[in-house]
Amino acid sequence: MDTYNVSTTCPEYKARQNIAANLLETINTKSRQGCLKKRNLVWLELTGCSGNIISLLDGSNPDFLYLISKMTHFIYNNSLSANEGQKAMEQLFSILGSDYILAVEGAVATKNNGLYNIIGRLNGKPITALEAVKTLGEKAAFVIAVGACATHGGVSAARPNPAECVSVQSVLNRKVIKLPGCPCHPDWFMGTLAHILLYGEPELDSRDRPVLFYSTLIHDRCPRRSYFDKGIFAQKLGDKTCMFKLGCRGPVTRTDCPIRQWNEYVNWPIEDDTPCIGCAQFGFPDAMEPFISYNTTREVKR
Amino acid sequence: MRKKIAINPVTRISGFMEIQADIEDNRVVDAKTEGLMFRGFEKMLKGRNPFDAVYFTQRICGICSTAHSIASTLALEDAMGVIPSEQGRYLRDILHGCEFLQNHIRHFYQYTIPDFVKLPEDYPLLKTELNDFRLPKEKNDRLVKDYFDSLELSRSSHEMLAVLGGKAPHNHGIFVGGITTQATTDKIIKIKSILHSVYQFINDRMIPDVYTIAEYYGDYFYMGRGYANLLSFGCFNSYKNLGTLYVNPLVYTGGKISVFNPDNITEETDYAWYKDRQDTDKSVEADPEADMSKAQAYSWVKAPRYNNLPFETGPLARLWLSGEYRNGISTMDRTIARVLEARKIASIVNILLENLIPDVSLQKEYSIPESAVGKGLIDTTRGALGHWLKINNQVISFYQIITPSAWNLSTRSNNKKGTAEQALTGTPVKDINNPVELGRTVRSFDPCISCATHIYTGGKHINTIQVVP
Repeated sequence: MDTYNVSTTCPEYKARQNIAANLLETINTKSRQGCLKKRNLVWLELTGCSGNIISLLDGSNPDFLYLISKMTHFIYNNSLSANEGQKAMEQLFSILGSDYILAVEGAVATKNNGLYNIIGRLNGKPITALEAVKTLGEKAAFVIAVGACATHGGVSAARPNPAECVSVQSVLNRKVIKLPGCPCHPDWFMGTLAHILLYGEPELDSRDRPVLFYSTLIHDRCPRRSYFDKGIFAQKLGDKTCMFKLGCRGPVTRTDCPIRQWNEYVNWPIEDDTPCIGCAQFGFPDAMEPFISYNTTREVKR
Repeated sequence: MRKKIAINPVTRISGFMEIQADIEDNRVVDAKTEGLMFRGFEKMLKGRNPFDAVYFTQRICGICSTAHSIASTLALEDAMGVIPSEQGRYLRDILHGCEFLQNHIRHFYQYTIPDFVKLPEDYPLLKTELNDFRLPKEKNDRLVKDYFDSLELSRSSHEMLAVLGGKAPHNHGIFVGGITTQATTDKIIKIKSILHSVYQFINDRMIPDVYTIAEYYGDYFYMGRGYANLLSFGCFNSYKNLGTLYVNPLVYTGGKISVFNPDNITEETDYAWYKDRQDTDKSVEADPEADMSKAQAYSWVKAPRYNNLPFETGPLARLWLSGEYRNGISTMDRTIARVLEARKIASIVNILLENLIPDVSLQKEYSIPESAVGKGLIDTTRGALGHWLKINNQVISFYQIITPSAWNLSTRSNNKKGTAEQALTGTPVKDINNPVELGRTVRSFDPCISCATHIYTGGKHINTIQVVP
């Protein structure tokens, strides 16, 4: 391609070149100044399945090892901390008073003043999830709610919500960055964290989700969109056409699953011939059910 | 002098747990295992679309979600009268096998190794005040390297699962009839090639690693025995053409193996935070409230029993019952069995892959019966898992789940301790201020408290016979 032509015909060409040059310069300066320095990270597990930390371990480039070696001083996590008991709790709460980023997975159980979820014992006293997230959440530089339970209660708060679970935001009077998903994709977390480390808070939508990952409906970028447009619908799971009539929640779910995909970018629910169940949309699961119904245009018995 | 100690959190398990132990003359004389999180899945499932149970129950557990998709699918098929094809079973079991590999690699390296291997202190997460690290430097270094290298293999195991399952954790692939998609040759060979690396790692590094630990911690062959009652619901078994590749439903008690009978399962709540039921007649249909004020209760985990006895379930039980491992029943044997089982499962997945017919479609438009009952019992990563359901008016009217960790980490009942509680009793504790022995034994059961403490049925002596047709 002849760049000479581009530069003369495109009025934005020079401006764009400048932007790129400026960005590169910023990164270079910042890294020279040591701005890419590691920060403390605490990953709390509350009421949920601990599937978000497992999903994080499934991430690659950056993977978990890079996260704990180059991006953060990873202080505490229930599934992974080598310490146990009192020492583990001391390690967790030793972070108070320093600069740290708090990631939280799981919902906050509020029934019986939080006693439905005890995360440890400090100096003999049981620490509820409720107490831990309040104490650590208030003092953190950033709070990131990871996965559906943390962002809005998720499955832990599914009706009739026996443990009276609520979102992390509900118990904290401060901004909480929200990464919905069941689980959260490791890249959504790593990308958000990287933005914080490099540039501070990422651009968020009106519900505090990073625009970078949550701006576009699955339906808008679905590889099966042309079938929808032509009215060709799957009759059953395993079909290769549009799964709208099987209850697909792609039309109401904002994530980049169609272009990102999961587990080393190898597959995702729709390519697996199943409908999206809206796991990354607020309201999951109750507002997204039924997950599977063979023809949503027929009357469904409730 | 008798002294009480508590370890909470028991880190490096799935979920929240406390160990309480009474120690006298440096020996555990009594122990309690406590599950400290409650969600109430059974109550949540009531009134939902039965098909949704497959995806919904996976959310019980982030490390063994596939297990719940399998058990719920089996329960649905039972209720709907659907018999999956052999190809459907192979495919489903391949996904299940991938989860075993992911789980066992993570459990051994990320959850178990920090108990026995001194990890580098420059990672705050891996820093520990635990002591009693006995490996010579050169061997310790090798296991540290494998701790980090293993991260790639457990990740790859989930990648294999996602090739046919859409994503992991919480897969979309397992469903009534088998799996949702077709196994095309590109997918089959992708899984086969990843499996090759995973098998190599298990065979060349993970198995030598566990035997290195066993060499320096030989005393753990004499700890954590428990009752020596072993139970399996069977898995990778009774294929039409392939027969049983792993283990049939069997129990071992009093030194004898017998055939498992699901009607002998009961579940009790004497020491769990649920209101005691008065009317024991239709216990499974009761829906009593959780009750944290119950004086003698100390855990959300109930007490499943087989013939009124507590049982151990998991890799050691399976290898023992299938006759492949008979060295002993102890903390170390349990840990070795999980690692040996990883290699066994990798071989089974390979056999199943080689018996696949590509491009087979397994799905059709299923309909939910007006009313039905079903059960799905299968051995999963951590052991015997059961789902029981009732359908009424085309929605779920009853759901019950008994997880492997409910067996292993059960509360006491009828003056008999739970399995892990019994395994802890008698353990010698060298340093009461740093009782490393207890965590080691409890982790040998691979507890999943997320799984064990979600259930909302209560009551004394729930007899699951009543949900079985």
